[in-house]
Amino acid sequence: MMRLRPALAGLWAMNSLTRRLVILTTLWVSLGLGMIAWFVVRTDEQQIQSTADARLASLLDAVVAATSFDPATGPVLTRPVADPEFERPLSGHYWQLTGPGGIQVTSRSLWDSRLGPPLREPAEGVRARSMQGPRGEDLRVLERDVQIDSRFGRVPISVQVAFAREGTADEIADLRSNVILAFALLGTGLVAVVALLVIWGLRPLRRTQQELAEVRQGRRLHIDVVAPIEIAPLVTEIEALIEQNRATVERARNHVGNLAHALKTPIAVLRNALEAGDMAGARVQSATLERLVQHHLRRARAGALAGSAGAESAPLAVAEALGTALRRLTAARGIQIRVAGEAEARVRADSQDLTEMLGNLMENACKYGSGRVAVRVSLVNAGRIAILVEDDGPGLAEGDDGAVLLRGVRLDEAKPGSGLGLAIVGDLASLYDGTLTLERSTRLGGLAARLELPGRLASEKYQGPD
Amino acid sequence: MRLLIVEDTPELHQQLRTSLTEAGFAVDGALDGEEALHLGETEPYDAVVLDLGLPRVDGLTVLRRWRAAERTMPVLILTARDSWSEKVEGLNAGADDYLAKPFAMGELVARLNALIRRSNGVARPELTFGDVRLDTATRGVSRAGQAVRLTALEYGLFSYLALHAGRPVSKTELTEHLYAQDFDRDSNTLEVIVARLRRKLGDGLIETVRGQGYRLQSPI
Repeated sequence: MMRLRPALAGLWAMNSLTRRLVILTTLWVSLGLGMIAWFVVRTDEQQIQSTADARLASLLDAVVAATSFDPATGPVLTRPVADPEFERPLSGHYWQLTGPGGIQVTSRSLWDSRLGPPLREPAEGVRARSMQGPRGEDLRVLERDVQIDSRFGRVPISVQVAFAREGTADEIADLRSNVILAFALLGTGLVAVVALLVIWGLRPLRRTQQELAEVRQGRRLHIDVVAPIEIAPLVTEIEALIEQNRATVERARNHVGNLAHALKTPIAVLRNALEAGDMAGARVQSATLERLVQHHLRRARAGALAGSAGAESAPLAVAEALGTALRRLTAARGIQIRVAGEAEARVRADSQDLTEMLGNLMENACKYGSGRVAVRVSLVNAGRIAILVEDDGPGLAEGDDGAVLLRGVRLDEAKPGSGLGLAIVGDLASLYDGTLTLERSTRLGGLAARLELPGRLASEKYQGPD
Repeated sequence: MRLLIVEDTPELHQQLRTSLTEAGFAVDGALDGEEALHLGETEPYDAVVLDLGLPRVDGLTVLRRWRAAERTMPVLILTARDSWSEKVEGLNAGADDYLAKPFAMGELVARLNALIRRSNGVARPELTFGDVRLDTATRGVSRAGQAVRLTALEYGLFSYLALHAGRPVSKTELTEHLYAQDFDRDSNTLEVIVARLRRKLGDGLIETVRGQGYRLQSPI
């Protein structure tokens, strides 16, 4: 029962499956059962009514059969009709004979009151009517005109037999309340069963959630729910996610461990150098530390890339923002930075990484150029965007382009500021399935760094393999 | 030249204070964004060194609010975050320079000197007043080719007048830019410093403008 409590609490929560299903079931069951109940009650009412009518009709027949005419007194019943209720005063069962001249004979039950006069039209057959009885009760009356043979020939006599409706009305009310009670019980039962079904059906989910919570709290390693086939794939996916998470954490832990260990040696050397007052040695060690930190930061960044698939950024906007920033940074030198090209161009790269790549290229151009830098964004062919960063500096010696990139890649040999920036750009570009090439600028005469990345025009769809 | 240092790491804050004071700046410090915001809005600084990760109010917000309040002093961002997207954000929020940690103190001083010079509309680092030369990059002063040794206050006063050459600078303004907030300000000492400068650099260089302060003729 304790287990049920959260499920029942869920009934009142706004966004609850149980609640939705129970509400729907309640609506459907009450509508359906209500219609059936109405139908049953109606059929039974008609049944009761016609039974009552049949009885009344047979009594009418019996009265008619016993009717005779005495010239001295008028209409008489030659024998009593077999219904004791006709003898009990005001019982609700009455008969009345009306002879020629309005002479009337009645059952004892009518006492000294009379039923309403018979209708003479239509003359043929049995007429069913409603009347008020002596107690003011509702009466159902059957009337028939008969011709009785007597010594004076055929005498017309009207025969009326009446039953108070109370009897049938009581019966019908009983029936109605029984039917309603039965159907209400049935409906409540159905809704309850549905609620239980939902709660029971959702129990594997609840258990999965509990175990997941335990996994999160570190009290459990796996989800051990034997899941029904409907939710088994979900559980499998969650398991895989947990596993992936664990692996990521493990990798991160390894990475941090590696970093810490890699830092230890230079720190030890640095401390010794400081104690010995060897400032040159200390400087070398602090440079080593700086490089290590840079390297690990880059690795961390590259590791984070896995999650940013599908990102898209606008190279022209990025280059313009960088241009504004670099103009401030190089305000003293008054470098002219021109950014132009295809505003619609989009590359498939995270905006931060694109900023990193272009930032390094443009900073280099500012650093080595002698005053003019040009950035141009263009569409190479379907699915590829080129960003050309040109300067008017000395450029590269013939056949030197590979070396600048390579020097940075071999991190240990790289000195800060000697191609490290370009190496970062190359690494990032290849992560995004792009390329970085260095050539001579035809327009400005210096270095032209050409960054090509998969992309498209914003107005088009990708034309790549996917 | 009066500086505001905004840095929340106490060790680095103290190192910056010591080094920049040694470099001849009058230095105020703030340890969090709120204090920085207040000081930057009320005191006339010649430059600000601003860390970005600050308690209470972060550095970028401080910078944006200064700029929104039309505080135009040059701001150098000093931070460990050195990705280009962060640099772009900082510079486009109104910073004038960006230096990533770890940094060399000499580099910081050089950049601050250049920032202050540029913010006063002086393009070249060297200024010449007759036979007196001032190199704002190396903080060197020479007279007729001979190096002149100046104390921090002497250099501060002279370079302030030099960067504002051509207009009289009041004693109040000089006091505000020469002394840090917690310094015991005594305007009389200004006269002492000016007297010493005249002795070292020549009598005619610094004019006294009656009722208005001191003036240095525009450089040649």
